[in-house]
Amino acid sequence: MTNEFKLPELGENITSADVISVLVKPGDNIEKDQTVIEIETDKATIEVPSTVEGVIKDVLVKAGEKINVGAVLLTVESSATQVDQTKTFTSNAEISKASIEDKNETGSDSSKGSKPPRGLKQSIPGDSTSVSTSELSIIDFKLPELGENIESADVLNVLVKIGDNITRDQGVIEIETDKATIEVPSTIEGKVVEINIKPGDKAKVGAIILKVESRTNVPGETIPSKPTVENKEINSTEMEEKPEQFKAVGGSSAGEKKPEPGEIDDQPPILKNSAPAAPSVRRIARELGVDIRKVTGSGPAGRISMDDVKAYVKKINEEREILPAGGFGFIHEPLPDFTRFGGVERKPMSKIRTITAEHLSYAWNSVPHVTQFDKADITEVEMFRKSYGLKVEKAGGKLTVTSILLKVISFGLNKFPQFNSSIDMEKKEIIYKNYFNIGVAVDTDHGLIVPVIKNVDKKNLTEISVELNTLAEKARTRKISIDEMQGGCFTITNLGGIGGTYFSPIVNAPEVAILGVSRGAFEPIYMEGIFKPRNMLPLSLSYDHRIIDGADAARFLRWVCESLQEPFKLFID
Amino acid sequence: MDKIKIAVIGGGPGGYAAAFLAADLGMDITLIDKEKNPGGVCLYRGCIPSKALLHVAKLINETKEASGWGIDFGEPKINLDRLRAWKNEVVSKMTGGLGILSKQRKINYIQGTASFVNSSTLRIDMVSGENKVLKFDKIILATGSVISSIPSLNIDSRRLLNSTSALELPEIPKSLLVIGGGYIGLELGSVYNALGTKVSVVEMTPGLLPGADRDLVIYLAKRIESAFEKVMLNAKVVGMKESGNSISVKIQAQDGTTSEVNYDYVLMSIGRRPETKGLGLENTKVKVNQRGWVEVNKQLQTNDPDIYAIGDIAGEPMLAHKASHEGRTAIEHIAGHKVAFEPLAIPAVVFTDPEIAWAGLTEIQAKENNIKYVSAKFPWAASGRATTLGRSDGVTKLLINPETERILGVGICGPGAGELIAEGVLAIEMGANASDLKLTIHPHPTLSETVMESAEVFFGQSTHIYRPKK
Repeated sequence: MTNEFKLPELGENITSADVISVLVKPGDNIEKDQTVIEIETDKATIEVPSTVEGVIKDVLVKAGEKINVGAVLLTVESSATQVDQTKTFTSNAEISKASIEDKNETGSDSSKGSKPPRGLKQSIPGDSTSVSTSELSIIDFKLPELGENIESADVLNVLVKIGDNITRDQGVIEIETDKATIEVPSTIEGKVVEINIKPGDKAKVGAIILKVESRTNVPGETIPSKPTVENKEINSTEMEEKPEQFKAVGGSSAGEKKPEPGEIDDQPPILKNSAPAAPSVRRIARELGVDIRKVTGSGPAGRISMDDVKAYVKKINEEREILPAGGFGFIHEPLPDFTRFGGVERKPMSKIRTITAEHLSYAWNSVPHVTQFDKADITEVEMFRKSYGLKVEKAGGKLTVTSILLKVISFGLNKFPQFNSSIDMEKKEIIYKNYFNIGVAVDTDHGLIVPVIKNVDKKNLTEISVELNTLAEKARTRKISIDEMQGGCFTITNLGGIGGTYFSPIVNAPEVAILGVSRGAFEPIYMEGIFKPRNMLPLSLSYDHRIIDGADAARFLRWVCESLQEPFKLFID
Repeated sequence: MDKIKIAVIGGGPGGYAAAFLAADLGMDITLIDKEKNPGGVCLYRGCIPSKALLHVAKLINETKEASGWGIDFGEPKINLDRLRAWKNEVVSKMTGGLGILSKQRKINYIQGTASFVNSSTLRIDMVSGENKVLKFDKIILATGSVISSIPSLNIDSRRLLNSTSALELPEIPKSLLVIGGGYIGLELGSVYNALGTKVSVVEMTPGLLPGADRDLVIYLAKRIESAFEKVMLNAKVVGMKESGNSISVKIQAQDGTTSEVNYDYVLMSIGRRPETKGLGLENTKVKVNQRGWVEVNKQLQTNDPDIYAIGDIAGEPMLAHKASHEGRTAIEHIAGHKVAFEPLAIPAVVFTDPEIAWAGLTEIQAKENNIKYVSAKFPWAASGRATTLGRSDGVTKLLINPETERILGVGICGPGAGELIAEGVLAIEMGANASDLKLTIHPHPTLSETVMESAEVFFGQSTHIYRPKK
């Protein structure tokens, strides 16, 4: 049933009030005592609480109006007979049209406002065209979340064009983030009607990439297709002539780069992650090359003072000093002019190459590396691999030395917890991890990528092999997600396919150890009084000497070798 | 070492502020403008003359208000020629002063126009008829904006005014239609209204001053609705023709019905657009976007790194104080400082009666961006100072982050709001929170107390209104 909510008595001698703001809209579910409008009388500003509850059908007042005590403010449908208006109508545009019609028609006779929605719709003459098109709606496809701390990405490729029919999960663009190249799959199906990005653009998470005409209704994201066009036509002259004025008084949207069409970037500057710091403090920070947002403020609500900036700079400098020689304070030697010696060609570094270079420099500079070498007898393992290889292949994986090592290492991390840790030098703490995720370095055409197999301890060899195969393939075809490359505890890098005996891999910080695998070969091994041909696999374990002592590393690697020789050892202790 | 040679094209508040700072920093500076002295639209045809006239309007209105307090001045006798002359004196005093400041700084001021031959060379056509081609290290574009119009309504009539001709006060018309309910239209409409003209406004959107928070506009709207002849919202002008001593205007209302009304004069004030025509930007790498603004980075550098752009041509909001700040930032960058134009708040002021001013976040923006905020409002009806002025039609509001209590936005409506907003801008820029404003002693009895008391409202502890915290 429909209830009316009228403006209650406001006090002696007060017969009317000005509406300052209306805090609810049709469709809102309101409760008793919830404030619905804010009014101002000659004496005060008052928030008017509702005396009814239910879903608002019509709001009969608007800000700026003068209303009398007793006037109907809202019509409210009590929850028992609640009608979902958005479903009754085929598009939102009709609702707004209908309510405008209704207002004009009914004038002061507000009781008509409680007519059922169907009735409203019938009052619109000649609306057949909008009915026929209204099932199609334009849906914005926005750049989805890409992973922790990733706010934007470079667009490499747009894989669709206007007019294409796309399906759910179809890759629509290829992007490059700090961490990987990713194909972004669509979550919408329908016809592409607008593309708002092009290769080379930087796309923000949440920015509208495509507009897709779709038959599927996604609540909250649908915008009516036809009425938008109509509005544009009606206002075309003014729209072209007037935009400045509206924005000119819009004050604080300034100072930002003008967003390109389609790029939603009209946030006022105060919301742009602005640090609570005075202009003079922000300026000093800029002069010192300090990102003010990284400075911790010591004032109320985190306000940043000049002293905070100085303290931050001091801390950074001290950290620099404790770094080993050749650390971050290192000055680059200028490059010679190579053209003096012959022809050269300069090419920009790809994002992955840049990140790899920066990350490995960081790891090399911050981790005191030692590499331990050893050899494992994998004669038995190879026999096992041959007899079970086919079975795993049927499941869609490949039983490789790497997948076996993944399982062995997961046991090893459990037995030697310092290998499953990270160092927090700032807090002087060691972080031990209770999960066993292991990364595997994959060589791809576009650079080095390290997918991470999660919870290796909980998976059997077939599962590990299948997953490794899938992830490696994803890495090669640039379809791997950021999630699939995060959270590693330890890394395995296998160069055995290419050859070589030993190498010293760089620890993938903040991990503390990495196992390098080279090519196994038959060697004469003296056992039980004679030389026997045994398949020996060279292993190189680089580790962070800050947390792992040499003896521990030797023990760990020896344990790995022995586990490969006698896998049952894994279940003994 | 030779001094760095800079040219600034355009002598408005952006251009002259840049040029003056450049000179103070010891640069060799050339300032080029069409007018005899620096000043630009702001001083010659904008902010300054309109404020002079709005002061007069306020005076006239106050004498009328005084009759209710037992003081009757009678009807004002208006000598339009003298009023116009006084306004022109204000303008020439200010621009003449800038001319002197420019000479004192030994700025090479050239009256003329400039266009790019290439990225570092300008051809300057002087008003004297001569021209020269000069090379510079850096060039700053500060050519500002021009008045927009609706081409289909551009009739050739002296009765069709724009903001420039309206400031010339051709006469006091009996009736005036203002097209556009933005700040320019309302300010100039208020001037003519005070001088005795029956002013009507037609605005295309549902409310006056689109973009401003409705709870600020409401006080102004109320006053304008009673003072002006008619305010037509959701309406637009669809045709105009001169007929005898008036202009016949066809106005279309929201419901599609049109009516034809005669007005002595019509003022078209629908906004301004950036001016880059004739600059020869095609001979540079400067990029202009679809809406006519020159694209710049946070250092105000265009796509051509030795060319900077500031003020109205570099984007919204098109306000003098934004231009000046940008101009100084550009010069500091040229001087080698690591600077950026990234204010947290650019105040906007509408000099109507009552004035409306705001800075930082607006509620409209907060809602669009799903920002959590609390609005703490102090109505001026509870302010002693407002009551002594007979003006309780105002409000001061703070938009506050409920978690950190940081001040995100400030909005004020009431006489003097334009002066009061500066405290709000400082609060936002300093990262102040509600307690800071609450705990700062404000002088009594002044309107500035409303800023402190609205912060008290946030805590449910305002002395002069009872609204306990929920």
